[in-house]
Amino acid sequence: MEKSVLKLDKGTTCTAWNYCGQRLAAGSVDGTLSVFDSPDPASSSFSRSSSVKVREVGISKVVWVPPEYGDAVACIFEDGNFSIWEEVAEDSLSVQWKLCEFFKSSSSKVLDIQFGVSPTSLKMVAGYSDGSLKVFELTNPLELKNWQLQAEFQNVIDSVSTFGKASCLSASISWNPVRGEGQESSFVMGFNSDTPQLNSSKVWEFDEAHQRWLPVAELALTEDRGDRVYSVAWAPNIGRPWELIAVATEKGITIWHLNLSPDADGRLPVERVALHSGQEGEVWQMEWDMSGMTLATTGSDGAVKLWQSNLNGVWQGQATFLPTC
Amino acid sequence: MPEPDGGELGPLSSSPTPPPSYPLRHSLRSPLSPRVSLCWCRGNSLRVSLFSQPASEVEFGGEVVELKLNDGGDGEISNAQWRRIAYGSVSPFAMLQSRRNSFSSLSKINSSPYHLEWWEYVMEYSKDINSLLGNPKSSKNSLIEDPKTFVQKSEEPTCLKAAWELMEMFYADKLSQPWLPERLVDWLADYDSLFARAYGTVYSKLLNFQNELINLQVIEDDPRYWEVIASALAVGWLEIVVKLLRLHGSYQLDQLSNREAWEKWRGQINKLDCSAFWIQCHHVQTREGLRNLLQIMLGNMSSLSAATSHWLELYISHFLYVRPFTAGLESMYSLAQRCIQLKPMSNSHKLMGVMIGILGENTEVVLAESSKEFGPWMAAHAIELLTAGSDEAEALLREERYSLGEISLEELHRLVYAQVLSSHALSWQIAPVYLSSCLKQGMGLLEILLYRQPVPHKELLLKNLEICRLYELDDISSNIMKMAGVHHWKHGRKGSGVYWLQQAQDEFRLNKIAQLLFGSVGKSISDESFKQWEGLIELLHSESKAAGGLEFLLKYRDFKRLLQQIGDGKNDVAAQQAVESLMLLMKNPSTPQRFWLPLLNDSLKLLNWQDRPLLNVSQTNLLLNKLQELSIARLRPHFVKPDFPMEALNSVRLSLATNLGRAILEE
Repeated sequence: MEKSVLKLDKGTTCTAWNYCGQRLAAGSVDGTLSVFDSPDPASSSFSRSSSVKVREVGISKVVWVPPEYGDAVACIFEDGNFSIWEEVAEDSLSVQWKLCEFFKSSSSKVLDIQFGVSPTSLKMVAGYSDGSLKVFELTNPLELKNWQLQAEFQNVIDSVSTFGKASCLSASISWNPVRGEGQESSFVMGFNSDTPQLNSSKVWEFDEAHQRWLPVAELALTEDRGDRVYSVAWAPNIGRPWELIAVATEKGITIWHLNLSPDADGRLPVERVALHSGQEGEVWQMEWDMSGMTLATTGSDGAVKLWQSNLNGVWQGQATFLPTC
Repeated sequence: MPEPDGGELGPLSSSPTPPPSYPLRHSLRSPLSPRVSLCWCRGNSLRVSLFSQPASEVEFGGEVVELKLNDGGDGEISNAQWRRIAYGSVSPFAMLQSRRNSFSSLSKINSSPYHLEWWEYVMEYSKDINSLLGNPKSSKNSLIEDPKTFVQKSEEPTCLKAAWELMEMFYADKLSQPWLPERLVDWLADYDSLFARAYGTVYSKLLNFQNELINLQVIEDDPRYWEVIASALAVGWLEIVVKLLRLHGSYQLDQLSNREAWEKWRGQINKLDCSAFWIQCHHVQTREGLRNLLQIMLGNMSSLSAATSHWLELYISHFLYVRPFTAGLESMYSLAQRCIQLKPMSNSHKLMGVMIGILGENTEVVLAESSKEFGPWMAAHAIELLTAGSDEAEALLREERYSLGEISLEELHRLVYAQVLSSHALSWQIAPVYLSSCLKQGMGLLEILLYRQPVPHKELLLKNLEICRLYELDDISSNIMKMAGVHHWKHGRKGSGVYWLQQAQDEFRLNKIAQLLFGSVGKSISDESFKQWEGLIELLHSESKAAGGLEFLLKYRDFKRLLQQIGDGKNDVAAQQAVESLMLLMKNPSTPQRFWLPLLNDSLKLLNWQDRPLLNVSQTNLLLNKLQELSIARLRPHFVKPDFPMEALNSVRLSLATNLGRAILEE
């Protein structure tokens, strides 16, 4: 059932596959970015095509930029800064990985970055350790330098209340994977912090008229609003009447239905359709398959779990995979 | 009636108990970090990244392992065979869908004599698919008959084929409906061997006995001889019975030579039972054996039970001898239940669930079992047979369910199968056929499938665009072309990049490229780069709507070409042409002001022409005025300093002044 695809170099800390699964970017503890390629799509053998020392600081996460903007990755470093590197061929020189932009964050550390494609531009959302998030926009679609800070705000519904300096361990962002020609994309974000108001997962939508981001839904029951959120994942919608979003909190894995038509007060109705508690430890990563029918999760117990809904709409664990020699 | 397990059926069924655990095998020898990373690639393939503990002394820091889910199967059908079946099923499926679409419109209009019933189309579909499922049962008759071979060991049939034929028989083949029990008898004759491992079978008993024949001197002395005849008789394999009887020591050549004689004998059974023959027959085994055969034919339950190995064989024997061929479906089911009670199944078997579901007329169970035992291919294709079975079945399978996201079971199984097809590089292209028949979520999944195909690979890109064209997915097509354009542009293939961006009609990026080209204005560029720059302008101009700016670029390009032709300052004609070109450019109101200085700087060669002044007085004055305008503009508050060294201003002014002097002298 399983087969080895490639071996990673010593010190590798994180990996990410590109949109078609043909290239793997791997970041290591010594700040090296390695890229593995496969000669053709039908082959399943991969070999390292480049290895670049991007910085003297370890890389903690790698995220691919959407392919409409080139072959590029964002590297988040251990020290909380991040940079964007791109594979380009300049003039008659051969193809190589080059630095596009380095984003220095002085006061707080970047915890997560995700890219969202809208009809007009590329947006990047970054979540910081002080509980804030920044939305950057790319000005020139052909160059991955020159990002403009479009908005900066906190992950709270009620923007009026203030609280002291927040300290966040992790943040998780997931864009709506839709590629529509028309609407702007929205994203969902949750935090794992000591400030309850920041934690719960909120769905953010851009309001064109007022040129600002608004929280249109909160994916938490009233009594769970302060729960720490470990991971969020927005499923691809192939034609369902609702959006499907998975949220992993300290209480367990929850599955939500988000309705696309707003109710009277402009909010989008949400419904929690599943809760699976009893997870041992934290959930680290959640990924939906291409149809949004299966959710794969990993966690601190080191296992890979698969979740599916049965014919009656009840979500349950289908299988657990434990790494074994 | 077997009940579905709390509504949890089909490919997405689960048990209330904790989910099964499987090993994820890897080859790393060091202890692993619990931090595991994953990514879905291509359909149902899950790639899992495992990392070694940071401190450990290792050769490798980790490994990426690919899990192909939904790909297991019990190995009855090899991967290569599955691919053949998958590829071969596409045409029949597509044909049936298009027939369904035209059928519904036609049937409303008229019923022509050439018009087939719907079920006949389904039968054609079924036969086409059936021909893919393993080799046809080879004929039992060979030219030269070996009397000691009463059972042919032909190629092992597959459960898949057996299940398909069962469903065809019960649901699609309307002509079969009155003959179901007979059809079942024939079906068991073809497929009894499949049950050999789970239960004993008549087939395996026959085969074993056949192998033993060489060791036997007097066949009719061996009790097994009579057992196998009884068993073969019980399930109605009369040809084999005849062959076996011919092996009896007392057989004369002209006895039992044809089926008619056999039928006659059968007709006189009762008479035989009371006849004097029994007293005359001295051979015990023959006497007992033959009596048992008679009991079988009389429908004696204990004889039948002794002669058969599993409930299906007993079931068949019922149709032959107890209640010959007169059973409706409801009574068929209760009879089956009784046979199961008499011969309970010690092990499970792939076919049993499907069989019981069919006999019990439980469409959901049939679908669930087919899916569980035979996989997504079966579920997606057998639904066509099931919907042809009855109106109720059709309604059940086509009902849109909210819990599934408002799609029907029919659509769900097609989507699941399409995702399986998407998991392989060699079969993703046939997924669109199935997705296009899914009215609600098919196109959504197709879109995602297309976006995940790699763009740099030319054949795949073209294939991808072909599919977009076929299904009229212009937006997706344009986005994919955009991706291709950006990829080529960034990897040094600028011409290809522009080509694809033009195909995508991505004005935004094309304008940016045009702006980049402007950046070359006034700068000295190598011949190589100039060629490329020229080519790009040509390409851009051919389709771009940004006419104004490109007009300038075109003229500038022509101007640059002329400058090149001048070479080392001797070509008078070219020089004069260049001057004309320069003047046109400078006079043209659409030439942006920021290019004046670069243009003049480019033209220094012309302005400092050795032989004679190339520009006349009025021309020189015009240029000086332009230069003056430029100097004043610099003083204005909103002046944006152009990306050009302003010392050039002085050298240009100097050259123009000199030129003016010389021009005045000329005139």
